[in-house]
Parts: sequence; structure tokens; C-alpha cells
Amino acid sequence: MKTNKIILSFSILFILASQFALADFKMPEYKKLTLKNGLTVYLMEQHEVPLVDIRVVTKAGAINDGKQYGLANLTGDALSLGSGKLSKKEIEDLFAFYGAQLGGGVGLESASTSLSIASKDVDKLLPVFRDIITKPLFNETEFNKQKKRYIDQLTQSRERPRNVIGSAFNKMYYGDHPYGNPVEGDASTVEAITLEQVKSFYKNFYSSNNSALIIVGDFKTRKMVKKIKRLFKGWNSNKIKTIDLTQFNPPKESNVWLINKEDAIETTFMIGGTGIPSNHPDKVALQVINTILGARFTSWLNDELRVNSGLTYGARSRLNSQSKFGNFVISTFTKKETTFEALDLAIKTYHRLWNKGIDKETLDSAKTYVKGQFPPRYETSGQLARLLSTMWSLDLDNSFINNFQKNVDSLDVNKANKIAQSVFPKNNLQYVLVGKTSELKEEAKTYGKIKEMEIKTFKF
Amino acid sequence: MNKILFVLSLLLTGFNAQAVTELDDVKSFTLKNGMKIMVLEDHSIPNANMYLFWKVGSRNEYPGITGLSHFFEHMMFNGSKKYGPKQFDRVMEAAGGANNAYTSENITAYTNWFPTSSMEVIFDLEADRIEHLAIDKKMVESERGVVTSERTTGLENSNFRMLLEQVKGSAFRAHPYSWGVIGHQSDIDNWSMDDLRNYHKTYYAPNNAVVVIAGDVTVKEVKRLAKKYFEPIKAQPEPRKVHTVEPPQTGERRVYVQKESVTSANILMGFHVPETQHKDYYPLTMLASILGDGNSSRLYRSLVDEKQLATSVFTYMPDSFDPNLFYIYATAANGVDANKLEMAMIAEINLLMSEGVNKKELTKVKNLAQVNFYRTLSTINGKANTLGTYELFFGSYKKMFSAIDDMKEISKKDIQRVANEYLIRSNRTVGVLDSAKDSKEGDK
Repeated sequence: MKTNKIILSFSILFILASQFALADFKMPEYKKLTLKNGLTVYLMEQHEVPLVDIRVVTKAGAINDGKQYGLANLTGDALSLGSGKLSKKEIEDLFAFYGAQLGGGVGLESASTSLSIASKDVDKLLPVFRDIITKPLFNETEFNKQKKRYIDQLTQSRERPRNVIGSAFNKMYYGDHPYGNPVEGDASTVEAITLEQVKSFYKNFYSSNNSALIIVGDFKTRKMVKKIKRLFKGWNSNKIKTIDLTQFNPPKESNVWLINKEDAIETTFMIGGTGIPSNHPDKVALQVINTILGARFTSWLNDELRVNSGLTYGARSRLNSQSKFGNFVISTFTKKETTFEALDLAIKTYHRLWNKGIDKETLDSAKTYVKGQFPPRYETSGQLARLLSTMWSLDLDNSFINNFQKNVDSLDVNKANKIAQSVFPKNNLQYVLVGKTSELKEEAKTYGKIKEMEIKTFKF
Repeated sequence: MNKILFVLSLLLTGFNAQAVTELDDVKSFTLKNGMKIMVLEDHSIPNANMYLFWKVGSRNEYPGITGLSHFFEHMMFNGSKKYGPKQFDRVMEAAGGANNAYTSENITAYTNWFPTSSMEVIFDLEADRIEHLAIDKKMVESERGVVTSERTTGLENSNFRMLLEQVKGSAFRAHPYSWGVIGHQSDIDNWSMDDLRNYHKTYYAPNNAVVVIAGDVTVKEVKRLAKKYFEPIKAQPEPRKVHTVEPPQTGERRVYVQKESVTSANILMGFHVPETQHKDYYPLTMLASILGDGNSSRLYRSLVDEKQLATSVFTYMPDSFDPNLFYIYATAANGVDANKLEMAMIAEINLLMSEGVNKKELTKVKNLAQVNFYRTLSTINGKANTLGTYELFFGSYKKMFSAIDDMKEISKKDIQRVANEYLIRSNRTVGVLDSAKDSKEGDK
């Protein structure tokens, strides 16, 4: 009875999947120009709401930290500590008064600062934003306060397994390669960072020819071009020292990092290995495959670890790509007693890529799914600004968006299985487990070479 | 002085020229079974959504079945008559759709996001689980594990979650807001099949729901599908009213929570405040914003920036059917004593009570509300979620479009008045989370 029901439902599913003709999503029009000082500018009009999103992205990420982990991040934060003629408080008060939101983020390869404002406030607030990027004051008192807050927050972040596991995995996987640099740093490395080092990091990387300015929203392009030229012409260009990212050998044996949290009530873990660089020719295909594996509710991993066994609230997988290399991780959490049951089930499920492979029905479903969920990712001005900044930093053109559907459609079962089996790492998996390690250690040894550390005190 | 005032008044009226979503763009109708549906056409992307809000949350529970509303949110994905176990998600995802759901003290919301071409499938899936949910014993047992993991991972990774549960438990001794939405572990372990069946029949009735659809749809098509799929579902008797009123609190209450891995103290204060439809709602939300919203807020400026006593601070006031709590949260900086931080938080509150807020602060929160309103309107999900929220908590989705004007009526005096009325010692519960054991007098 039950079997019949399932077969019937599957056939319904199959018919549905072949029926949908999805509307294609294309890149909205935008203007791209380069100022005389080398600043790349993207302008995209969007008039649905009277808002404007402004973003500056600079190749000033944590790969440039050297051993001063946290330097790029601290520098990104320090931009808003006062600039031009305004103090930190004056900037905060001004933006808050107009309902503006200043944001920022530093990654491994780039750093961005963003501002969301009402379109009527562009003339008042854009010059202030420009000053934040191009004329930071780096006031010493403010810097010392910021550094103390930052160190306190780093200490607090060690209270939560979820906050540390990603950086720990990256460090384990990449080792001394710059991609192993923990973006946030740790208390000891940040403690040693001086204001002079922040100023010098800024001077070395924050320049017009190493940045892009992106403005999306409710404005007129012609007028905006004039404004931008006037406001940003004074930003200096600089000769940028780039670092070599091409030398990397992935770990040759399985490592297991055990991070002890004495009062843990569950175990949080990551399993992974080699992934792909962001310009990989099969990137879209791999996104579809990863959707099947661990990036939607009905994915294999979530289905096995959550739905079938009730071991966890959620299990997923992702491909973390940088410009030259990438890695792949499976992540989940479960109560202490079921740690290895969940770990083994995750690996067994993952190995389906080789043992059983992907069938047509699942592939068709995943293809329809990624296409259906594509347009809402680029709905707002803020999202579109982020997209343009990614395109700039990874050197992608419109085909990234415009060929997405075509690339998805061209994937068939043979191709999918071939790509999956050749790209995903089958052996030599790497593990990070955060939990009460005294209860995990013995069994963990069977998975690879153990390294033990304390969540509160370990250093990268 | 005059010039500043002039600028301020300009600011508040400077938005009028734009053609953004307006009240008249929202079309609403009610099916014969009492299900109310709102539709907002938005053709900016080839996608749409369907938000279903059920008037059931942890306030409808009682000891023994705490957490059942949330558990039910999970069970709604576990199979019904036409679409068996796992089929809801499989069919939806194969049609290009995705979904999620959340449960609060007051409501349970189900959210579906899909390419417009698959709207009929979504209607079919929803109608099937609303009318014919199959509560399979095996699925129930497996789902208990999932929810236990959700509860555990929340406590493991969030100090706020841990402290919130305790502060609510102390602030409410009669009203069901007393327990956390996730429920007590012993109830998660023990509720029965009958509890589940009764819950579905009582609360998942079309007359207990509000549905919002926003996106690349036409009102005509939505109406046709709603009549076909939702209208045949039978109405049920009105659920029992939640009549318990929390007796007034007449003195401060305190709770202490010990967690070994905490590196600095966390403080959560909860003050009893009225329900969302009360006249003091806007003054209170504006007060919350002035106190704790962003780096220009009073608490951030004083505690985080100037005195360096805290690393973060925020205020939170949930929308609520019944009188609930106004929360203030702070995380102490390294080495700062919990008591010292608490006194500094109270000093800021007292200062606002005695001196009130200034004109600039008042204008700031109104401006922020206006810009945030546009941010809400920039996505189809923001539109659907906000329309549903106003319909449920404010009595009509129409209030969404008058919210900015309603806030304009609020004066500095109103904000000072509500601070003096609600943020007082006898009305507060203070929770402290720290690493020290609370074992004997004089313990450090």
C-alpha cells in the first residue's frame, strides 16, 4: 500500500516537473564606467521604491593580513570611526537621523562598505559616505575603544560553536595558505595590532584603482555620473602589491580537530575537503548538484539526518569558493550521544554520489528548484548592488546571470554524475568537531589524525 | 532654531511624489468558510509567494502541551491524504518552490515562495494539508528528535534564548506567555496523538487563518484558485478564547542563570506592557527605538561607546495579542560586573523618564520608520509578511498604510509618559546569565 502510494506520488511529481516553463531572468540594464583615477563605477536604475543602495568594494580582504589575523577586518571597521570633518558620533547621528543604514563586511579577498538611504537624501549623504571610504580619520581614542570592543566580542564569540567552526575548518584545510587566515582573527593577534598598522593597511589597499563603486536604485544615471565624477575624482590611485595565491597543496591525510567545550549539550561538526574556485567552468552544474546533496529541504543530507532519523534540526552542504581555490563542507549538529551515528550517516549519504549517483527525477527537480529560486535573489537594490560587487571582484560578466538558466538546462544525468564524481572530494575528508571532547576522543581517532584544542583559548 | 524646525518638517513630508505600493493596490476577499485572503500584485520578478497565518501560538497552550504549536508547525510538513510523507516538500521543490514556517507566542505562519507558473500546485498542497493532515505515529516520534535538536542547538548557541525562557517564566506566572515557544523538554517528549489531532481540528480551520499572496499574479487567478482549493474546506467552531489575564506585578522579580562557558554577564530586563492594539503601542515602539536601535541610540552611546560597560545592547518589543513584555538586553564587556552594568542601564532609563526625549530623537525615529517602510515594500516577501502582520496584530492590513501617519501623532510627552508608566522597577523582571555558580552566600 505504502509503496504504491509513493510510486503514484512520484509520477505526479515527474509530470509536474516537466510542465513548468519558467520565465527567464535577465540582468537589468546598467552603466559601467571607469574614472580617470581607475575607479570602476556601476550605475543601475531601479525605481520601484524611493531608495538608493551605495556600495564600495575594495580588494582589501584578510588574505593580506599576513600573520596579523584580523587586520583587514579591523581596518574595515575603523573606516566609520570618523572621516572628513565629522566624528564617529556625528556620522552615526547624521545617518540615523535620515534612516540611513551603514553596513560593511570583510571577506578573504575583498572588503565592502554599503549605505542604504532614501533617494531624496543622496546629495546630503553621498559626500559623507565618500569621506568614510576616502578620508578616514583613524582617531586614536576611537580606535582604542573599538579595538577593546572587538577583542571582547572575539572572546564572547568563543561561547558559541557555530561562531568558530567555519574559521577552524578553513584554517585546518588551507593551513598556511592565505585562504586559511581567519577573517575575524583571535584575541592574541588583534591585541598586537596597532593603529599605525591599520593606517598602513588602509594606505596600501584602499585606493581608487583597487575598488569599485556601485549605486543601484531610484536615481537618474546621467545626473549621477556627474555627481560621482565630482565626488570621487580626488581619490588617489596606488600601486597595489598583490600576493601569490597559486601555491597550495590540500591536506594529504584526514585530520580531525577536536574543539572542547566543556559544558556542551550537543556536538557541532563539519566534514569536508577540496572544492572549486569561483570561476570554475561547471560552477552552475555544481550548484545544482550541491542542491541535491545538501542545499534544500529535501536534499539527501537533510532528508537522511533530519527527516528519516530525527538526529538533527538540519544538515547541509556548501561549496565555499575563492578566486583561486575553494573547499566543500557538510555541516550539522546533534546531541552528544549520537555524534558518530550522525557523522557516519552524513558520510554514507554523501557517498551516494559515487555509490548510487543522481537519477533523472531528482536532477529535474533540482534544476527546476534552482531556476525557480533564482529571481528573488536579485529583487532589491541592495541585492543587485551586492551582485555587481561580486561580478567586479571575481571578474564576471553578465553571462553569469544571463546564461544561468541555459547552463542549468544543459545539465543531463550523465553530465551531472560525471561532474559530481570528478569534482567532489571522495576520500581524505577533513573533520572539525566542537563538543565535549573527553566523550568523543576515542572514537574520533578512527577518522584521522587528532588535534585537540579548547574553544575559549585556541589560537589560529 | 526656526531653520532647524523647518528642515525637520520638510523631512517628514519629503516623500510624496513617488508611486509606490498604496492601500488601493491591496485587494481582499473572504471565502464562504471565513478564510480571509489578501492579494497584492507586483510584477517586478516572475515569482510570487503565499503566506498563511494561523491564529495559534504558544499562548493557546497549557502545561502538559507546551511547545505543541511549534511542533505542529513541523508536523504540517509530514504528510496528508493526497500528498503523503515527504511529498509536500518534494512536490513543491520540484515545482521550483521553497517554503519555511515560524511559530511565535501568538501565531504560526507558513511561507511559500515559488515561480508564478506553479501557483496551482501550491494551492493544492496547502489545501491538502489543511483539510486532510495525516498525523503518522512514526513521523511524530522522529519529529520529536528534530524539535529536541532545535531546542538544544538554540540553548547551546544563544545566550538570549536561554535567558529569555527564564525571564518569561518569572514575569508571567498565570498567562501562557510564561513558557518558551519551543516548549518544555518533558512536554516535547510526552504529548499524545490525541493532543495533536485536537490541535489540528481546532486551530487549522479556514476561519482561523489569514492568507496573503503577493507577486506576479492576478487577483482574478488567485480568486479562482482560492475558490477551487480553499473554499471547500469546512469551517470549525471558534477556538476557546485565551481569557487568562496576568495579575499585576507589584515588585521587581529576579532570575539568575548559570552557564559555565559564558565569558561575560548577559542581562535581560522585561517590563510588562500592553498588547499591540493598545494606544500606547507606538509610543512604546518609538521608545524602544530611541533607547536601543543602532549606534546613535541612548543605550549604545552610553553603555557601549562612552562607558565601555557593554559590547552590545538592544531593545525588543514583540507584536502581541495580549499584554506582553518590553525587553532590554545587554552583554557586558570583559570583566565588567553584572551589577555595574545593570545600574548603568537603569540610570539611562531613569534619565529618559525624568528629562524625556528631544525633538531630534523624535524626528529620527519617524524618519527611520518611513525609510524602513520603503525597505519593506522592496520585496514581495516584505509586503506579504507585513500585510499579514497588520491584519492580525493591528486588526486590519489597512493600518500598514497609516502607520507612518499614526506615528506622526506621537509627541515627546507621549514617549516620556510611557517610559514613566512602564519602565519602572516594580514592573520589571531582571535576568542575569553568568558563569559563576550560584551555590552559597558570598560565592564569587
